[in-house]
Amino acid sequence: MSRKSFCGSADHAVSRRGFLTSMAALAGGAAFADMTALQVLGTPAVANDLRANQKRVIMLWLAGGASQLETFDPKPGVPTGGPFQSIQTSTPGIRISELMPRMARRLKDTCIIRSLNTRNADHGSAARIMMRGRMGEPSVDYPDLGAVMAREMGLEGSQVPDYVSFYTATEGRNMSPGSPGFLGARFGSMDLTTSMVPENIRRAGVSEQDHRERAELRNQLSGMFERGRSSSTLDSHNQAYRRVSGIMANEQLFDIEREPQRIRDRYGNTLFGRQALAARRLCEAGVPFIRVGRAWWDSHAQNFESHQEMVPELDHVMATLLDDLEERGLLRNTLVITIAEFGRTPNINSTLGRDHFASAWSTTLSGCGVRGGTVYGRSDAAGQRVAEGEIGAARLFATIYRALGISHTKNYYLGARPIPLTDPGTEPIREVLA
Amino acid sequence: MPDANPRNLRTVRQINRRDILFSVARVPNTARLLVASNDNKVHEIDAGRDNATQRDLADHGRYVTCVRLAGNTIISGGYDNRLIWWDLQNNRMIRTLENAHARQIRQLALSPDGTKIASVADDMLCKIWNVANGERLHELRGHQLRTPTNFGSMLYCCAFSNDGTKLATGDRVGHVVIWDVANGRQLSTIEVPSLYTWDGTQRIRSIGGIRSLAFSPDGTQLAVGGVGQIGNVDGLGGPSRVEIHNWSRRERVHQFQGQQQGIVNRLVWHPRNNWLCGVGGGSNGFIFFHNTQTRAMIHQMNLPMHTHDTVFTEDWTTLYHVGHQRIVVQEIRP
Repeated sequence: MSRKSFCGSADHAVSRRGFLTSMAALAGGAAFADMTALQVLGTPAVANDLRANQKRVIMLWLAGGASQLETFDPKPGVPTGGPFQSIQTSTPGIRISELMPRMARRLKDTCIIRSLNTRNADHGSAARIMMRGRMGEPSVDYPDLGAVMAREMGLEGSQVPDYVSFYTATEGRNMSPGSPGFLGARFGSMDLTTSMVPENIRRAGVSEQDHRERAELRNQLSGMFERGRSSSTLDSHNQAYRRVSGIMANEQLFDIEREPQRIRDRYGNTLFGRQALAARRLCEAGVPFIRVGRAWWDSHAQNFESHQEMVPELDHVMATLLDDLEERGLLRNTLVITIAEFGRTPNINSTLGRDHFASAWSTTLSGCGVRGGTVYGRSDAAGQRVAEGEIGAARLFATIYRALGISHTKNYYLGARPIPLTDPGTEPIREVLA
Repeated sequence: MPDANPRNLRTVRQINRRDILFSVARVPNTARLLVASNDNKVHEIDAGRDNATQRDLADHGRYVTCVRLAGNTIISGGYDNRLIWWDLQNNRMIRTLENAHARQIRQLALSPDGTKIASVADDMLCKIWNVANGERLHELRGHQLRTPTNFGSMLYCCAFSNDGTKLATGDRVGHVVIWDVANGRQLSTIEVPSLYTWDGTQRIRSIGGIRSLAFSPDGTQLAVGGVGQIGNVDGLGGPSRVEIHNWSRRERVHQFQGQQQGIVNRLVWHPRNNWLCGVGGGSNGFIFFHNTQTRAMIHQMNLPMHTHDTVFTEDWTTLYHVGHQRIVVQEIRP
């Protein structure tokens, strides 16, 4: 499938051409078939080109709904504010929760959006909205952001997957699955749930020859099945299979044990930290979209203790990830989105919990294409309503696309029907964009 | 006069409030309560009147989690890491210990003779202070800063034995330390993991912890309260649970669960061993009286709010409960 989906900027054109040229040159070498993507990246010309220009997204998905009041929109001193204080960030006048001291020190790459009103406080349907940027409709199966990124930023012939999703907790996993929608299985997510390494990836005990023979057998059976049949679904599945088959030679891509101990220590010994490190490795190898699902934030009771437990982990992992991406020269082309399906109520219930709340909550965008060290929008004093700059999922997604250099007005076609990336009339938030 | 029977427990008054009250102390021989509020202040409330009056006392600037009264001196602690000494009679501050702890203070316990006060906080330290002058007598280190799954832990509660020679402290993961108050040394430790739920599969977070402690009148046993294992850590849908340990032998001698779901926030052991009383809550509140000799539940009932703390009168016939937006007064009638 030809992909002419870039925004048209010179950056993208050069990147894609440069990459394909380099790949072609490498493909001529006998050793290429055995090289992993990381080894490919070791080739200076390719690595430099990729690092310079390919846009990527790492989404930190705070499944279940983290509290904006205990993270990016604290309200100390009001009855709804909870027990935690706010602290000054590196940007004068902007304060976030005291539970996030590291992010407070490095807000320079991050824009906080405090004015989301997404009008849906049901886990499942809200998650679908926040993964797609729009409500669903019966006649159209919309792709999610990861699938769009795979479609727009995936590279022909790439040996790495285009969309990887980590989600280990069982709660909520089925509420927000990666979905390629009408784009087809080729752009679907590689879901890592029980392990940080794809379950069917080549392991010790499966030799190179076994691997090759399995592929040949599969091709043979598939060819027999396809004979006399023609289907876009078949094509899509075959493309996905070929991509996965290539990935199976890349076990080390997912293996964070190959990182120096110093780096692993830096991310911390939690599942979220380890998966964020794996995400950075994938990002570095050229995977356009990686989602790291951190579940489960649904603190209907003991909200403050849950957030005291989980927010420092988020703070540590997010700040470390941003530092690491920056030090590797990746942050300017990688957008880190920290988001959930909704936030949590300002009202504190009888079990010291906060409930589902979509009327005035927060998200952050960091890195690529974003004006860092800023806040957009404002909730009212009690955090009950948006007081300024109200946006929904559509404008957020238009902003995300724009930050990545993708035209938010671009159309896909479902048969003859044009399907714009965001709903018609949606505009990105200029103030958020660099 | 025979001891009142907890089966005759009746609610006699409810005082609605807008705030959440985490802790209560009582001025002796009165219905005047000192309450620790999420409006950042300590208040004095006369709960003996239908139209309860209120006076504002110490202001912590953040949630106040605990308050105790020693003679005429109120001592309070909270999320500001401070301990404030306050003169009740003259309504003025006596002293403030800035950074009494490095993290939020969770609970205070007053020694039976009123000369020492212990504080526990999320810096995982227990400190014992001289009530008269605010001097720190001991700093007790016996709880891990991190949970086994590498998250920050919390140190919730502490209690003196009736003779004042021993102090117990309990944390989030179910670790209890019993201390010698005279020299600050550890006497024993016990583990109560049933009160801590770590969900490493569904939600990858935890809930629970040891929320209440009470020594038996003779000091040989220790009651430990909280919530039992919870299937869904989004809520407090687990059994209210108490374990009783012979702490010197490190042996659990009894355990029981209340009818109500929720967390046991406060335990009071009757000085003549008539009963062990617990209060707490989930979405609603509860109170129970348990006969620790026959090991039978004497009485349990719902309370109209999640209850964080309770205090008895000197004759053990009247109880003042504080919690979510309410004060409830109950009496045990003959």
